[in-house]
Amino acid sequence: MRLLVFSDIHGNLEALQCMLRDAADRNVHRSICLGDLVGYGPYPNECIELLRGLKNCRCLAGNHDVAVLWETSPYGMSSAANEAILWTMEQLTAENKAYLAALPDRLDVADMTFVHANPYNPRGWRYVLDRKYALRSFAATRCRCLFIGHSHRPLLITRKSLLTIDLQAVSASMRYRVDDTRRRIINCGSVGQPRDNDPRSCYLIFDSRKQEIEFHRVAYDIEKSVKAFHSAGLPPELGARLFKGV
Amino acid sequence: MPLRRHGQISTTNLKQRFFLWSTLILIGGGLLLSVLSFWNTRRLLMAEAMAKSEVILQEVEAIRSYVKEELRPKMNELHGPDTFIIEAMSTTYISTTIMERFAQSMPNYIYRRASLNPHNPRNLADSFEEEMFDWFEADSGRSFWQGVVKKNGEAFFVSMVPDYFAAPCLPCHSKVEDAPQSLIDRYGPKGGFRFQAGDLAGIDSVAIPVSASLREAWQGSFVIFIITLGGSFVLLWLLNLLFQHLVIERLGVMLSLVAEKKRETSVPGPGDELDVLHASLGSLHSYVRSARKGAALQPNFIGDYVVRQPIVAGAMSWLYSAYSVRSEDKVALKIGFAEVLQNPLYRSCLDTELQLFETMSHPCLPRVRERLDDVLVLEEVSGRSLSSLLSKGRLADQLLLPIFSQLCDLTASLHAAGIVHHDLRPQILMLDEKGLLRLIDMGLAASDQLPDPIVAAGLGPQGDLVYMAPELIQGKRGDPRSDIYGLGVLLFLAMTGHLPFSEERKSSQNWLQHKEQMIPPKKYRAGLSAGLEQVILKALSFERKKRYQWVEDLWEDLEQAGKQIKEKND
Repeated sequence: MRLLVFSDIHGNLEALQCMLRDAADRNVHRSICLGDLVGYGPYPNECIELLRGLKNCRCLAGNHDVAVLWETSPYGMSSAANEAILWTMEQLTAENKAYLAALPDRLDVADMTFVHANPYNPRGWRYVLDRKYALRSFAATRCRCLFIGHSHRPLLITRKSLLTIDLQAVSASMRYRVDDTRRRIINCGSVGQPRDNDPRSCYLIFDSRKQEIEFHRVAYDIEKSVKAFHSAGLPPELGARLFKGV
Repeated sequence: MPLRRHGQISTTNLKQRFFLWSTLILIGGGLLLSVLSFWNTRRLLMAEAMAKSEVILQEVEAIRSYVKEELRPKMNELHGPDTFIIEAMSTTYISTTIMERFAQSMPNYIYRRASLNPHNPRNLADSFEEEMFDWFEADSGRSFWQGVVKKNGEAFFVSMVPDYFAAPCLPCHSKVEDAPQSLIDRYGPKGGFRFQAGDLAGIDSVAIPVSASLREAWQGSFVIFIITLGGSFVLLWLLNLLFQHLVIERLGVMLSLVAEKKRETSVPGPGDELDVLHASLGSLHSYVRSARKGAALQPNFIGDYVVRQPIVAGAMSWLYSAYSVRSEDKVALKIGFAEVLQNPLYRSCLDTELQLFETMSHPCLPRVRERLDDVLVLEEVSGRSLSSLLSKGRLADQLLLPIFSQLCDLTASLHAAGIVHHDLRPQILMLDEKGLLRLIDMGLAASDQLPDPIVAAGLGPQGDLVYMAPELIQGKRGDPRSDIYGLGVLLFLAMTGHLPFSEERKSSQNWLQHKEQMIPPKKYRAGLSAGLEQVILKALSFERKKRYQWVEDLWEDLEQAGKQIKEKND
């Protein structure tokens, strides 16, 4: 079974389409989107509808998805993000809002767990980027592989012993074997707004037969996306950061 | 309708079983009775012999004490203290001589007085008596012994008492010089001397032969056994007549009624007449239920729909065919069983099912047109069920991959959406003329986003045990690998035309055992390719870890194995 895992689309339809096309060529059976379908970007409805129509795909709720429903306050975010959330609230159809409202916070499938930010306090939205929060995440779950998103930076955390971990930044397309019994936290990066200085969309495929995780990067037409940001009247810095990947 | 003899209808299985067991019980009873009677006779014999031997011993003792206390002092008085007349003064001589005369008329009572060092060599102890000397000497408190002794192949009942020397005995038994001349003249100076007071003088014993009596007891109990056996067979024969008349013939008539249709198509299955009757009545019951429901609904309307005949029963609901009054479109109605609607637990299962039908979309799930309270209006479901397709034997090879590709795709979609079906079986899979497969029931399904009432209520296994994964029988729900097991059973059935286990009714514990030792598919279809067999065996692994972990893996392997066969055939 080949499982596609991706996250943080943020209404960037162009990036999502390119990423899905690329993944389709690599023969995937199921997909899991780790949340943040909307926010920042100009195509929230279109992205939601594309994912709803995607076969064997499940989505989780991210902080931007619950913010547009007023379940967490958008005023805690940066001003540009806040502005984009308020804009998105106006754009979303009732049906899509209902879809976002029904998204779960966490999924457990076989020996894998999927959450948007972290498993120990899913609605606290804290990044898991260092040892302290990685250990907390390991303690809060029993799965072998924990898939997260939210930080927009692809990352592989392997637990070496009870108190030591190994952090591996993922650059470009790479493969990792996960056929041992060590526990791992895998951050799948972001599709619509990567922040690891690589502007290409990032996603991963987990192959259950080979016990292998493949990270892939896909280039998309950033110009086209940025134009859409402008015509939607969204803050210009949100478009500009896409070129740099920050 | 004339009574038909049962034997013409099917095997007389019930009768054979009944009589086999009765015969065994009766023979066992006869054996027990004869053994008990032998044991009792033997006990009585022993008690009698014990009493008799004691009488004799007491009699001898009385003679000896009479000689010791009356006769010997009297003779001394008459003839002077130094005279010793053996015939009138020796206790041993007098008692043995009297008992010898007694034995002439009563040869079954053998009296002996044995000594290790007797005057009269006839009284020398044999080896058994020597042992008894040791036994009595070991503990001077021992004053009596009884038991059965084998001598020259014959059994004797023996009673023994020890006799000790006292002062009046010593003149004849201590020193040769002191002994009376008549004694030495008769027996010589060798035996019977050098004793002291308190020494063990001899053992008086009475033996009564019991071999003949025991033999008689054996014969008696054998006769009892034979009589019981004969009586049992007469009784069995009478019971047979009665059973045949009262039960078998009537049961046969009933069977001929219910099994009329089945007889033409299928071979007699396992189990006896009552099992067949049970199965037939079961199907009759569900038919009556459907007919009653159908009859109640038949002229009825639900909303704008006219309800027609039922198509199939699911786990929680019926599927009826119906049509819309307005547009005359044919539809299917999903209506909960009356008992499900009344039971809040099953009711919530039904709610889950209806919700899943509404939210899931897949070509193999009938589309939902609308929902009227508890009734779901689905698009028309045509064709026939897989179970009717498979009742004639295995699936045609060209149908296998198309059907299972749809089935695996559907299952994968359910699993990807976090739904476990739990109840995949051929009865609820319909195949239409175009080859489209439809799943028409999800009554036992569970979604990871909804509470599972069956787990919450701690209900046992629900559904058909035949298609159920072992962990479901143990009550563990919600694992997608249970559906993979169900697919494995379907695959086995489709490729061989048989189920991987016998369909006998059994307890769930029994089922677990059968699932662990399934029949290999090659038994039913020798030509099965190794690839397909591997797929089936892996899907049907008893342990979840050894099974396919994902439906997609199962499908990829199945597709590959199927293609190889096709290429070979081409």
